[in-house]
Amino acid sequence: MSRIQLENVTKKFGKVTALDGITLDIKDKEFFVLFGPAGAGKTTILNCIAGIQIPEEGVVKFDGEVMNLVDAAHRDTAMVFENYALYPQMTVYDNMASPLRSNLYKKDEEYIKNKIQEIAEMMKMDYLLQRLPSQLSNGQKQRVAMGRALVRSPRVYLMDEPLAHLDAKLRNAMRTELKEIQANFGTTSIYVTHDFMEAMSLGDRIAIVNEGHIVQIGTGDEIYYMPCNEFVAQLMGDPEINIIGGTLTKTAGGYTYTMNAGGKAYELPADADLFAKFDEASLEKIEMGMRPQHLKYSFEPKEGYLKCSVYSYESIGNKSVIVAEMGELQLRMIAPNGLSVKIDQDVYVDMKLEHAMFFNADTKEYVARYNEAEIKSFAKRED
Amino acid sequence: MNSNKKLLGAVVQNLLLVIYAIFALFPLIWMVILTFKPDTQMYTTTFVFDPTLDNYKEVLFNSDYISYMIDSLIVSGGAVIVSVVAGVPAAYALARYNFPKKEDIAFQILSFKFAPEILVVLPLFMIFQKLRIYDTHFGLIWVYQLISMPLLIWVVRGYFEDISVEIEHAAQVDGYTWYQIFFKMLIPLIKPGLVSSALLAFIFAWNSFTFPLILAGTNVQPITVAITKFLGTDSAHYGQLAVAATVSALPAIIFALCIQKHLVRGLSFGAVKG
Amino acid sequence: MKEQNKNSTAVNELNVVPFKTRMRPYLIVAPALLITIGIMIPFIMSIYYSLTSYSFRLPNYSFVGLKNWIAILSSGAFWKAVWVTLRYAFFSTAFEMLLGMGVAMLLNNLNNRFSKILRVALIFPLMVAPITATIIWQLMLNNSVGIVEKFLNIFGVYNFPWAAGASTAMMTVVMIDVWVNTSFCMLLVLAGLQSLPKSPFESAKIDGGSPWFNFRNLTLPMLKPSLYIALLFRLMAALQEYAIIFGLTKGGPGDTLMNLSLTSYQTGFQFQKFGFALPYILVLWVFINMVAKQIVKRQRAAQKQAAGLEE
Repeated sequence: MSRIQLENVTKKFGKVTALDGITLDIKDKEFFVLFGPAGAGKTTILNCIAGIQIPEEGVVKFDGEVMNLVDAAHRDTAMVFENYALYPQMTVYDNMASPLRSNLYKKDEEYIKNKIQEIAEMMKMDYLLQRLPSQLSNGQKQRVAMGRALVRSPRVYLMDEPLAHLDAKLRNAMRTELKEIQANFGTTSIYVTHDFMEAMSLGDRIAIVNEGHIVQIGTGDEIYYMPCNEFVAQLMGDPEINIIGGTLTKTAGGYTYTMNAGGKAYELPADADLFAKFDEASLEKIEMGMRPQHLKYSFEPKEGYLKCSVYSYESIGNKSVIVAEMGELQLRMIAPNGLSVKIDQDVYVDMKLEHAMFFNADTKEYVARYNEAEIKSFAKRED
Repeated sequence: MNSNKKLLGAVVQNLLLVIYAIFALFPLIWMVILTFKPDTQMYTTTFVFDPTLDNYKEVLFNSDYISYMIDSLIVSGGAVIVSVVAGVPAAYALARYNFPKKEDIAFQILSFKFAPEILVVLPLFMIFQKLRIYDTHFGLIWVYQLISMPLLIWVVRGYFEDISVEIEHAAQVDGYTWYQIFFKMLIPLIKPGLVSSALLAFIFAWNSFTFPLILAGTNVQPITVAITKFLGTDSAHYGQLAVAATVSALPAIIFALCIQKHLVRGLSFGAVKG
Repeated sequence: MKEQNKNSTAVNELNVVPFKTRMRPYLIVAPALLITIGIMIPFIMSIYYSLTSYSFRLPNYSFVGLKNWIAILSSGAFWKAVWVTLRYAFFSTAFEMLLGMGVAMLLNNLNNRFSKILRVALIFPLMVAPITATIIWQLMLNNSVGIVEKFLNIFGVYNFPWAAGASTAMMTVVMIDVWVNTSFCMLLVLAGLQSLPKSPFESAKIDGGSPWFNFRNLTLPMLKPSLYIALLFRLMAALQEYAIIFGLTKGGPGDTLMNLSLTSYQTGFQFQKFGFALPYILVLWVFINMVAKQIVKRQRAAQKQAAGLEE
């Protein structure tokens, strides 16, 4: 159990700066997710915490104690590597037993046997215990790598995309198990993923990492409803959020939003806080973000709806996505399965503006959204 | 029709193999036959004769042959041990760490194997005498490093490069020290490459002729130099010569048979490993 | 502001990698380097001595500059030696590589008991020291007692000159070299063949490739690393071969087999003209180094490429 702090950590590899001034404060017992695109630096952060790599600048602290000079073996962490890093000449059993046989973390063989049996059963791999890594599939190797970490009771679990190669069913099962283990033992966990659903469901808090910088830290809801910029908004959510460019004009009663594409003007529903923010920001060029589930469509012409044509219709499991096109603008919407839709067919789209969020068109930064105060209160986790 | 073609193909292939096998193995078989042939029947018979153990008795018990073999063993075995102890860590460093001129140093080490032996030997002849290591086991073991270390470092480095560095990281996080990781985890993984290149190193050292010829004299006489003794004397005792030649090949053959499991796997370059 | 700066330098001190860990790579390489640096000295000395008139006979020697070099490079003996060296190296390496590859492929294709035994047995010639092999073959080719002689007699060929004849001597030493060292090439190629990944071949089967196509485009490129290593070791060794030629004829008949190594040895130890002996061998060394560099470069590239082919 540990509070992990990174203060202004910078890590360079030759000329490449992998991490630039990373500051993180991960609370004790927290399940903290690092989320971001490939190459963002998430693995490097884990390595710096584990002690495998030492930063050029900055401090790594466990419970306030500076760990920079402590070597990896003594930091009492357990890590699940993205490429498994299983010991090729040892059986699965010995791989999992390995951390408990080192001088630093030694336990007796009886304890080891029981612990491995427990973990193996939980991960449904007790029949694999005598195999060698070369005889395992990728998914099995990944489970062994996780098992090797879970037999330990370290100060912090570090997990680098541990569920990436598992099939969906197993992944869901493992997610639940992980959350349960973590809640039961109260071990601080830092988890890297690029699957946003995993991030949202597992993380107490999520840090968005991009190109060596922390972009935003917050709970899943905070990030989903109030992303700090368009990049974050587009990362979270499947299908991707719709960003619609336009201009804001202040009117007598409130604000009007005029779309760039097609020129349709919408009178924005009243929201005092929102309009106050608009006054403060006094922006003209604005981009509106609408999540696909907040768009309505109809195949019959309806008043007030935008006329678009169908660009594609894709099924993604228990629902489908219609992409409607108007000029250069593409809008993604959710629709039920089993519709008969033809490409280039006319479709009429309307937006539930009361769910919109607004971004500065130049800086792409978040300006405001509807119901901000309400969302803030329910998104905030209790400390 | 197809199966006939296949059969013909198999027959031809086996036949070609037999032809080469005769070329390669017949001289060895013939040598062994000669070891049992008495001098009196040397010129008169080919394959049918009265076998005798006299040649063996003469060579092994009545001459200095055994001491020559011991010299060879000390010098070649010692050379391989030194090469392994100094070479394996060097191979690790060349595989893992990035320091300036790394590839140049690696090539430099490899190039020692090809340095013409005569080139090395002429100045070394004088240096060794000055340093008083002429005609010593130590001197030869040191010089042999030129031929035993390069291939060993080259092969073992390839093996280290194939071991993902994350395995070392995982072991560190598990709580092992660098020394434990090196000896308990890495060495087992490089075993095939290590033993097969050690065998080749041993063969190169054992078979070396130029170095002991010039850098050793009467004190240290490995078998390669000493065997010429069995030639030049008055009447050639071909049977004894055959014994000397056959027995001199035995240590390497025994070593090879012991590690034959690893031999082929160990020498694959740039191919799939595990 | 200043307070922050002071903090950060203290913090930066924390991140300096400890001395022991930084030194580790050098400590590890040190033993190997010590050994090899000790051997580097002769090379440097050789260059120096080649510029002198050093001789074992004379007590004093003088610095003669490039006199030795000029004399040697314009002598017929030097160029003859170069020619002999190149011929020997070319023929023995070529035969060893081709034979080694052929035998390795045969051994790999056939999976009967015979081939399995041969896989180990055919390495045995390599275990015989070249000098010993020379002696064995001398015995076999001996005109009065040798078994080959007796065999040839059946076909009516008597007293074949082998090592004694000017035209047959080269062939004889090449044959002995090939006998010993084909096993080395065979071993490397066999190792390479047995570790070839199956998937490229499986996909080629689906695409309908002929065996020749498979060989040229799949087998050969993936074997390249092994082939280059075999080429490297054999060619470099053949260029400076000493033991076999010395053992068989000491360079004769006449000077037909006097390659650069033998010429250098003779000049240095027999004629005792030390400074004069070195240029022969220094030229060889420079040549070997240049060729080796090229081959190594290609080998490392082929190794990386072969690793890519597997993905």
